[in-house]
Amino acid sequence: MINVVLGVIGFDCHSVGNKILEAFFVESGFKVTNLGVMVSQEEFIDAAIETDARVILVSSLYGHGEIDCAGLREKCIEKGLENILLYVGGNLVVGKTPPDEVERKFLKMGYDRVFGPDCELEKVVELLNGDLEAKKDCD
Amino acid sequence: MNSFMLSRENFDKIRQEILLTWPTGKDLSLEEGIAYQKQIPPEKNFAVAMRQASENKETLIQPRAGVALIQDHIKLLQYLETEGGADLLPTTIDAYTRQNRYQEAAVGIEKSLQARTSLLNGFPAVNHGLAGCRQVTEAVKSPIQVRHGTPDARLLAEITLAGGFTSYEGGGISYNIPYAKKVPLQKSIDDWKYVDRLVGIYEENGVRINREPFSPLTGTLVPPFVSHVVAIVEGILALRQGVKSITLGYGQGGNLFQDLAALISLKNLAREFFAREGFDDYELTTVFHQWMGGFPEDEAKAFSVISWGASVAVLAGADKVIVKSPHEAMGIPTKEANAQGLKCTRQAINMLRDQVFPIGRKHQAEIDQIEKEVRCIMNAIYRLGNGDVEAGVIAAFAAGAMDVPFAPSVHNQGKILPMRDNEGFIRVFNKGNLALDDEIMDYHRGKLEERAAAEGRQVCFQMVTDDIYAISKGRLVGRPK
Repeated sequence: MINVVLGVIGFDCHSVGNKILEAFFVESGFKVTNLGVMVSQEEFIDAAIETDARVILVSSLYGHGEIDCAGLREKCIEKGLENILLYVGGNLVVGKTPPDEVERKFLKMGYDRVFGPDCELEKVVELLNGDLEAKKDCD
Repeated sequence: MNSFMLSRENFDKIRQEILLTWPTGKDLSLEEGIAYQKQIPPEKNFAVAMRQASENKETLIQPRAGVALIQDHIKLLQYLETEGGADLLPTTIDAYTRQNRYQEAAVGIEKSLQARTSLLNGFPAVNHGLAGCRQVTEAVKSPIQVRHGTPDARLLAEITLAGGFTSYEGGGISYNIPYAKKVPLQKSIDDWKYVDRLVGIYEENGVRINREPFSPLTGTLVPPFVSHVVAIVEGILALRQGVKSITLGYGQGGNLFQDLAALISLKNLAREFFAREGFDDYELTTVFHQWMGGFPEDEAKAFSVISWGASVAVLAGADKVIVKSPHEAMGIPTKEANAQGLKCTRQAINMLRDQVFPIGRKHQAEIDQIEKEVRCIMNAIYRLGNGDVEAGVIAAFAAGAMDVPFAPSVHNQGKILPMRDNEGFIRVFNKGNLALDDEIMDYHRGKLEERAAAEGRQVCFQMVTDDIYAISKGRLVGRPK
């Protein structure tokens, strides 16, 4: 079973989507460590190390995503998580911004996949399975 | 003075500590704040505006808005006032300040200056301090309120009330359970006693500040009785500290009859329980929140949701309505989109303001049902608290006798699962440990079975998920594909 770490980053307390995501990923056959809301970068990394997770699923709904998400990739590498997948999704910036602009910004920060607030969860799992397969070949 | 009131000695002791938690609090004088409030004209006082709206049977409109920098925030508010036609103004506080992370807020201000746009989701009032707040409140013509989501809002209250804001949203339950993860309920209730006492001290010095518990809670399928219980308890806690102007609210559920019944029952129930606690000297007004759940991304569809909320607010006789914008699905709106939400709301209000919606027998039955549910939970609270509502509500949350759906706090059991019935009324599917009696639960279950039969499926968790995303996908009830 593949371990995933899930949580809402920073000082964001949007909890509804987090509970739905947990239910969906469990149903899709993943072992989910859900850290809930208001999770720091350090907590994400510690949980990923502890559970030997292959992917960290970061949510941000309140607009501070740009500040909160920066640097997570570098911290992961520092802690020896060179190969971990980083997915991020939600309302990631303040104000209505074209999705491709948001995507570019977060890909540049080192995230592997960037999702909007309305993404289809089935699609996310499909992409994740593909990315995990591709990573396997690199190992 | 009642036995629950925070003594002046204890208040002053806490005050000395709290003012030192950030440099902008250090030199604050309560006397100077009161003197400053006294020269604010009545037409800019929020409590006066709410009382007059109630007397004149008007529904006032208010947006949400806040950005990182003072000048930008002023421009935003002035635009909403002139172009948007807002009757009442907000200042929405950023999420770092809400968690007392003033250092992070300072970084947000710095980065916003560099980026020439707001990277914070609200106005960091503590960092901007007394002078910054006064710049804002003096730059607008309308009454202005602090809107936030702060479990410990003591320093924020000191700075913003002295800064000229005349209304303060929140409460020890409504700004904890939906807004925090680990803050004990006793701690947030104690901290909000301080805020309410501060408002009481202003009151005793001739300055009336309006207080508004945050009614929509998690904004997601919250049954009316759940938010009513929180509103009533926070109302009592505020009255105990000397607050006189209270606005209780309700967030739109989506079914017209349930929403009308909710707003009508809220006022009746509040008066009933305030009287039970021995209070009769207060001004009670109401607020209706346009749909707080997920919005459609398509702006035309979003306007429909906004307009429907505006319509229900007027028909229900709310004294004010909190307005959403067509950008809701994407997060924080531009000032133009925010003003569009206000205009859309105003149009609906003006078309419906002279119309009267008759309350028939079926609607009266829904009012009776909500009242029965609220009394059931309130009785459990009094029982668990040996007659005291504060001890009782803390015990009730711990036991799950009171429970808020989908909340982030670990001090909320979160076992209640709500869903819509066949007509879109929000009912209880799983009550967890909620103190609802069998008769009430049989009624809810019966209504949910009607839906299940209509959809040809069993009552199940999938229905809850379907309902959460239904409005953003174009309908009220989450029917199967």
